[in-house]
Amino acid sequence: MATAEIAQDIKTDHGEVINVSTGLSNKKLLMWTFLGSDVMFFGAFIATFLVYRNRSMVGPYPADILDIPITSVSTFVLLMSSLAMVLALSYVQQDRKGLGTFWIFAVVFLGAIFMGFQFYEFRLFAMEGLTPRTNLFGTTFFILTGLHGAHVTIGIFWLIFLGYAHIKGALRSDNAIDLEIAGLYWHFVDIVWIVIFTVIYLISARDSVPPGGMPWVH
Amino acid sequence: MSKFWSNILFHDGQGWWDLPKTQWQEPSPAMEGPCGAGATTIHRFWSWLSAAGMHHGTPLFYTVIGVILAVITVVEVWAFTIEQLGSMLIPVMLILALAKFVLVVAFFMHLRFDRKYYAWVFAACMVLGAAVFAIALALTTFHGA
Repeated sequence: MATAEIAQDIKTDHGEVINVSTGLSNKKLLMWTFLGSDVMFFGAFIATFLVYRNRSMVGPYPADILDIPITSVSTFVLLMSSLAMVLALSYVQQDRKGLGTFWIFAVVFLGAIFMGFQFYEFRLFAMEGLTPRTNLFGTTFFILTGLHGAHVTIGIFWLIFLGYAHIKGALRSDNAIDLEIAGLYWHFVDIVWIVIFTVIYLISARDSVPPGGMPWVH
Repeated sequence: MSKFWSNILFHDGQGWWDLPKTQWQEPSPAMEGPCGAGATTIHRFWSWLSAAGMHHGTPLFYTVIGVILAVITVVEVWAFTIEQLGSMLIPVMLILALAKFVLVVAFFMHLRFDRKYYAWVFAACMVLGAAVFAIALALTTFHGA
């Protein structure tokens, strides 16, 4: 009897299903575990970028090609999309449909602008001779930022779906946990970009020809 | 031992991570503000700003966090242009990035308001991620040597 009671789940405000034996929301725990695995996923690619930093034998080098002002604007856009996301969740939880819809699609709009910046940057780099096959910088840069862009794109489609559900009345305060889960994913994408912007764009932006030519050859 | 797990799993501890219930449930929580109950004005302002629904802040609160994030980004870009920073650029950038990271995770992702277990799951994976980086770097150094 006691075992059966422990195994029960209870549903709280905003549709959170809480396991009474742990006090944790099942959906939220699943998302945090997934995000934890994604930390290691991105951690591996960021580590690879840093390991091969300043080891490209041929240009273009980061100092030749990275455009900090443009990327700063796209970083700002992504940060503001995170703000829009948290406002969307707040209004959906309050059942304020108009504001909820507005902010959900604001996130989609800002995410699309960010992807536009990334597309522009990739195209510009390719025109200037940097592709994934050019050098180690190109390979590690395109894989890392490309995978991040893929995450943003998935988030955009997810939020379009949730925005449509909100308009149709299928996403309400009593199941706002579904938007909160999507929000966790979106904010995670944002914090990954915070790291990428710092490591690739700000710290590595002045990297040029490696000192000594090829420092790893003895 | 049970208190240890209770502190990790549930939201009923009295530690600094245990954010306030809402203003209506607990009018003067001792540990609500970033400065504790000591700085009364800041404490009152924080209390007013962060108290809304259960486990969440107000839209104004989130907007303030968003503005702080934007300001830190501007400071980062400004610091990048200072040539005199030299080798200090890396630690400065890492500190600013860490500040943004913590603000997003704690407030936008609600970890500051939520059960500690989620924070432990995420923190454990951060440690593993850092270990991946350290091992990759160590292997490369060894290979290079």
